[in-house]
Amino acid sequence: MSAPTPPIREATELGEARRRVQDLVYGLPGGDGEASFREPWELRAFALAVAAYHAGQYEWSEFQLSLIESIRRWEADGAEEDAQPWSYYEHWLTALETVLAGSGLLSEATLDDRTKAVLATPRNADHHEAHREPVAIDPALA
Amino acid sequence: MTVPHTVAAAATPEHQAEVAARVKAVESIMIEKGLMSTEAVDRIAEIYENEVGPQLGAKVVAKAWTDPEFKARLLENATAACAELGIGGLQGEEMVAVEDTDAVHHVIVCTLCSCYPWPVLGLPPNWYKQPAYRARIVREPRKVLREEFGYDVPDTTEVRVWDSSSELRYWVLPQRPAGTEGWSAEQLEALVTRDSMVGVGAPKSA
Repeated sequence: MSAPTPPIREATELGEARRRVQDLVYGLPGGDGEASFREPWELRAFALAVAAYHAGQYEWSEFQLSLIESIRRWEADGAEEDAQPWSYYEHWLTALETVLAGSGLLSEATLDDRTKAVLATPRNADHHEAHREPVAIDPALA
Repeated sequence: MTVPHTVAAAATPEHQAEVAARVKAVESIMIEKGLMSTEAVDRIAEIYENEVGPQLGAKVVAKAWTDPEFKARLLENATAACAELGIGGLQGEEMVAVEDTDAVHHVIVCTLCSCYPWPVLGLPPNWYKQPAYRARIVREPRKVLREEFGYDVPDTTEVRVWDSSSELRYWVLPQRPAGTEGWSAEQLEALVTRDSMVGVGAPKSA
């Protein structure tokens, strides 16, 4: 069993990894810590962009410019609260799509198709029923 | 560069689901093209996984420890009780809180994938998603808790394992630690750990 032994990693190691990521994020709009995660997809989108950068897919400055541009466009469009509510990580996602498309790594059509496919697939086709009893019971021994 | 500070008028659940799907789509394409590995993404996410949630669950638990009427409502209908505190998920799945007692200890799993009550607990840790945990916790829960998590459930306590699905997600209301009489909810919150709400650990002691 790949051991779920806590601590999964030494706190210091995580702390250092975190500092490295924060150095990266610091120069971005929202990088002052205000953009915390509210939904799991936000963290996933965040991690995707950082991981792709670490893997050498683009310069961080390209991503940064792309993010700034997405936010600028939103502001220029009037930033109407009803039309398009502010979502930092949607800009983040747009920025990621833009830099990947810019290097020919992603096309909007492919992405739209894939998104439709994801939406059409139940998260787990076999796992939609509620299980109302314990799946296992280990009785008291004494 | 200033960032607009407007708080989002809550985006609709449909919209959130679409964006979440788009993120998944981007990830699957990036993985296919070998732009990076899932493990690399997991590693980055892991740094922050504690921030997307368990502090919300801790609030709920601390309130249940200090407010018996709230606790009754929580055990009756966890989804509604959490909504009282403004805590809820985009898919609106049903949540059930199972209460630990001296007689029974609960632990949660998703045997098929990684269903997890994320509005309360945040993102699942990596081990929760691994086949090893998912299979073994059902077969020999007491042993897994002891060997893998260093958590000894007394022999006099029954262990029940609950299988979360996308329709119904469980989480554990742990026992209030001894020696915390008179503590405020805020003080108690700090003792509630993610592991204690998954059932693989105890809350911190006073």
